[in-house]
Formats: sequence, structure tokens, C-alpha cells
Amino acid sequence: MNKTLILVLSVVLSIASVSCQRGNDRASAGPRIAFVMKTANNPFFIDMQKGAEGAARRLGVDLIVQAAEREVDVEKQVQIIENLIQTKVAALCVTPSGSREIIPAIDKANRAGIPVVIVDTRVDAKALSEAKGQVATFIGSDNYEGGKLAGEYIIKRLVGKGKVAVLEGIPGHETGDSRLNGFRDALKAAPGIEIVASQTANWERDQGFNVFQNILQSHPDVQAVFACNDLMALGAIEAITAAKKAGQIIVVGFDATDEAREAIRRGTMDATVAQFPATMGELAVENAYRLIKGEQIKAEIPVPIKLITKETADSTTAKE
Amino acid sequence: MRFRGVTLRQNFLLHHGRQLGTLSGLVGLAVVLWALTPHFLTVSNLLNVAEQATIIAIVAVGMTFVIIAAGIDLSVGSVVAFSGVVMASVLHSSAPLPVALAAGLGTGLLCGLVNGLLITIGRLPPFIATLGMMSVARGAALVFTEGRPISGFSGSFRSLATGEVLHIPLPVIIMAAVYLIAHFVLVRTRLGRYTYAIGGNEEAALLSGVNVRLYKTMVYGISGLLSGLAAILLTARLNSAQPIAGMMYELDAIAATVIGGTSLMGGEGTVLGTLIGALIMAVLRNGLNLLGVSSFIQQIVIGSVIIVAVLIDMALKRHGK
Repeated sequence: MNKTLILVLSVVLSIASVSCQRGNDRASAGPRIAFVMKTANNPFFIDMQKGAEGAARRLGVDLIVQAAEREVDVEKQVQIIENLIQTKVAALCVTPSGSREIIPAIDKANRAGIPVVIVDTRVDAKALSEAKGQVATFIGSDNYEGGKLAGEYIIKRLVGKGKVAVLEGIPGHETGDSRLNGFRDALKAAPGIEIVASQTANWERDQGFNVFQNILQSHPDVQAVFACNDLMALGAIEAITAAKKAGQIIVVGFDATDEAREAIRRGTMDATVAQFPATMGELAVENAYRLIKGEQIKAEIPVPIKLITKETADSTTAKE
Repeated sequence: MRFRGVTLRQNFLLHHGRQLGTLSGLVGLAVVLWALTPHFLTVSNLLNVAEQATIIAIVAVGMTFVIIAAGIDLSVGSVVAFSGVVMASVLHSSAPLPVALAAGLGTGLLCGLVNGLLITIGRLPPFIATLGMMSVARGAALVFTEGRPISGFSGSFRSLATGEVLHIPLPVIIMAAVYLIAHFVLVRTRLGRYTYAIGGNEEAALLSGVNVRLYKTMVYGISGLLSGLAAILLTARLNSAQPIAGMMYELDAIAATVIGGTSLMGGEGTVLGTLIGALIMAVLRNGLNLLGVSSFIQQIVIGSVIIVAVLIDMALKRHGK
């Protein structure tokens, strides 16, 4: 049947392209490690993948990187992990698309005797222990520490006195909650600083604009804003410009995206907290490799974070 | 000629021929994968693939009914999410398990019936009615949960996904049962015959005394009900009901249906073809993972397979006429 032919043909074609792609990996007889990311089309994860691939080359690891088509699709991510378990990989690195939903997949890896390294986003600890699941380690940024850095920066700039607004992420997201807690805890050291408004803008730029515009209406005297990610910070900057208050309000974001760095260079934004996804990817593969070798590794491996300001916006890149 | 009640037997032969085509596509795919990786043709991997196919395959049964009736249901993914979170909250309220399951199925059924009424009584085009429901059900799921997933359920509920009978995963058995029932309904019951009749020529069906409104509404109800069933399995599988679950399921379900030979023009199609279509999608994804193909290329391959399958189906149909 024609249909058969063409189906087979398209698969063969794709496989041809794959074998070219993976020709180099096949040459190494090292252990096979699977790295399942949230997505393969976000700069943060592209950097993570590059870091992982660098470490794999160095260690002679046969690395397979896979991701679901969409970042939020944890069911597809579970499927990918199930499929990779079938190929008997020696270790599995995962950036979970859902802190709880990923646990059944971790459980399956456990039963197959495959060690699991969690990267970037934590697994829900309570749900994991209820499911009697095991993860070898967590490798990621200390978001709490990042929030604290942002808080300390604002205290310094305001010289310990002033009114501050906060743009929160989606409530219940582990990363956003940690950043927020770190920020609030840092401000406890400066009783002269008051948080006059703290609202969610759901990680989004347009909502950052709207929410901060509303905050400016009710608190025209706000002196600084901390946004739990750069997109919301960039939205806030637009609201500040629209209110003709450019340069009067200190804006601090999180993630150090290219656009945020550019805004810092231009002077519309003051600071952002950089994560190092490439280092995360690298550490993930290195530690998975050590697990395969039977070495002990720490249950938690923090990846450094850094405050980026105008002075450091050019010299520091996320790729370092 | 397009009134299926009359020419059902002839069509049946035609459909079987086409199913054989789709089936040989699946077999060909399996042979290629078997040749390329030792991990494909193992009992555990085949069960794994079957299990992964279940959720889309069940949604696709409802889609097949709808498409045979010359409609479309874009709301299935959102209905999966909404039914899932409703059921999950009932589960968390410590109501008995059957009550929670009924709540999930009932939510799906209700959404489907609303779709049906909008299309029959409201005379909205199916595309518009279900597009609206897609947004409404998604929003309802988000409002209902304040955007957070509801997770952590009892072992007895989870066994719907983790259980096995004679080493066969329970979801696979449930899927098989759904397909058997759906096949029976389509081929042997009045509802089935009228579904083909409405899709083939609605005017003719109406003139022949078919209560088109009633049966059309039922068809959308079936689609909603099966989305509710898929939601139960998905929630049990992830041990969590997410308001953002099921995004793009409508496209996977439509793809499985059309790969399986159901005509988007209505009046033609079989659920067995849809099952093979859903398995082709699952085997493709599985094989591409086993081979370590980059996720970007996977999307190209999957999209190409859908396009090519439908192209060939259309060519065959022209040939047949």
C-alpha cells in the first residue's frame, strides 16, 4: 500500500537525519545518560543543553537530550521518560515540568534501577516521600538566595528607607515563592523599607505592565519595584515610562535575560539576578556520571547566582 | 449513495480495505523501528506504548463519532482538564470513589451536551461552538482551581492507572473495552447508523425521519463523556489534576481519527481505524524517543505523517469514486 510506503519513507528519512546527528555520540562507548528538559526552545534551556553536551563530550558520555513540545506538558514528559527507561539508560537527568506530576515517572525509573538527577525545578518533597520515590540529588539555583540579593540591593540603593512594590509570579510556583521569601526576608533587616504593594502578574510582561500601572495609581510615591522575573520587570518599565517617571523608580528583575541586560545597559532597569543554566546542565551530567561510577554525591548541589548591575551587565554572561 | 443506512455493507468492505492500509502502515513502522533499535520490540515497551496511547485513543473515539457526523470537537482537551479538576476536588472532599468518578464523567458529558445543544438548537457551526467551549472549559478549570493543580490521591484511585490484569495495564483494558463498545454502537445500533446518516447527508437523514437534533446532541455528549473518562485516567496516571492539562489533545485526537481513515467531510469512518491511528502516533513518538531524535525533528516527522496519511486517504477516495 502506498500509505505504508510513505509512512516508512518518512521515518527512514528522519532516521537518516538522526544518524547523522548522533554519529558523534555513537562513537563513544561511554555510559548513556538521558537529559529530559522542560522544553528545547527557551534560551534558558538551550544554554542548559549546551552545558550538558559540553560535559558529555569531556567525559565521553553518550548523552540523549529530549523535551516535550510544550513546556507545560508534563504528561508528554512522563511519556518521554518512560520511553527512555525502555532503552535502559544508565542515569536520568530531569527538569520537571510539574513538581508533583513527574513523580510517577521517577517511581518508574527507581523500579528500573536508574538513578534520577533533578535539575532546576524541585520535586515536591512531601509527595515524593509519600510515593516512596528516590532522587539522587537536586541541582539548581538557590532562588531564595537570589531574592535576598535583590532585596539587599534595593536596601542599599534606598539607603534603608522607602516604599517598595513587588510583582509576584504565579502563586504556588516553587521558584517564584522562594524568590519572594528571600526578598521579604532580606527587607526584614531594613525596618525603614515598607512593601506597599505585592501582587501577581503571572510571570507575564503585559500583566507586569497593567499591574504596575495600577500600583502606580494607588501608590504614586513608590520608589522601587522587585519583579520575580525579567518579563514582569520589563512590563513595569513600560508602565513607568508611560507614567513619565522614567529614572525615578528602581527596577530589579530576575533571570538576566538578554533584553533585561540590554535595559540595564541603557539605564532603564537597575539590576537583575542571573542564573547559570549552562553550569546546571554541566553539573547534572557530571554528577550523573559520578553516580554511574558508584561515587557518592551530595543530596543538594546549589548553582551560584549573581546580581547583575550596570557595572557588570557587559562582563557577565549567562554562558559563563 | 451517501446515505449510509442503505449502503452500509458495501461501505464496510471499503472501510476494511482502508483499515488494512492503515494497519500495514503501523506494521511497517514497527518493522522499521525493530530494525533500528533493540529496545522497540520488547513486551515491556509494547505495553508501555499501548498505555501511552490510551488517553488520546479514548478521546479520539469521541472525536470519531463527531467527525463521522460531519462535525468537529475542539473542546476535548479543555474538557479533559475541567472534568479532571472537578473529579479531583470531589476525591479530595473524601466522597466515595464512584461518586468522584461520576462527577468527572458527568462534567465531561455536560460540556459535550452543551456543545451539542449550541450546535443543534443554537445552530452554531461546530467549529465555533466547540472553540467557545474550549476557552470556557479551560477558564472554568483555572477558576475552579485558582490555577493550581490538585494532587495526591488514594491508592485505590491510582490503581486505575497503575493496576494490571494478567500483566496488561488497566488503562489498556479500559481502552479496549471503550473501542469494543464504540464499534458495536456504530455498527449495530440506531445511534450508529444515524451518526453515519447525519454525516453523509443531514438533509436526507432529516427527510427520512431521523431526529437529527437528538442524535447530533448525543454524539457531542459521547465526545464529552469520553473526555471525562480520559480525564480520570490522566489524573490517575499523574496523581494530579492540572487545569492546564490536555492542551492540544484536540489536535492529536483529530490526527488519530483522520490517519485512521475517517473523512473530515463526514459520513465515513471506523473506530478501529482510529485505534490504529492513535497507535501509529504513539509508536512514532515512542520510536523517536528510543532513537534519541531531537524533539524539533520529532514534530516535523509527526506532522508529515499526518499530512501524508490524509493525502493518501483522499487520493484513495477519489480513486474509489
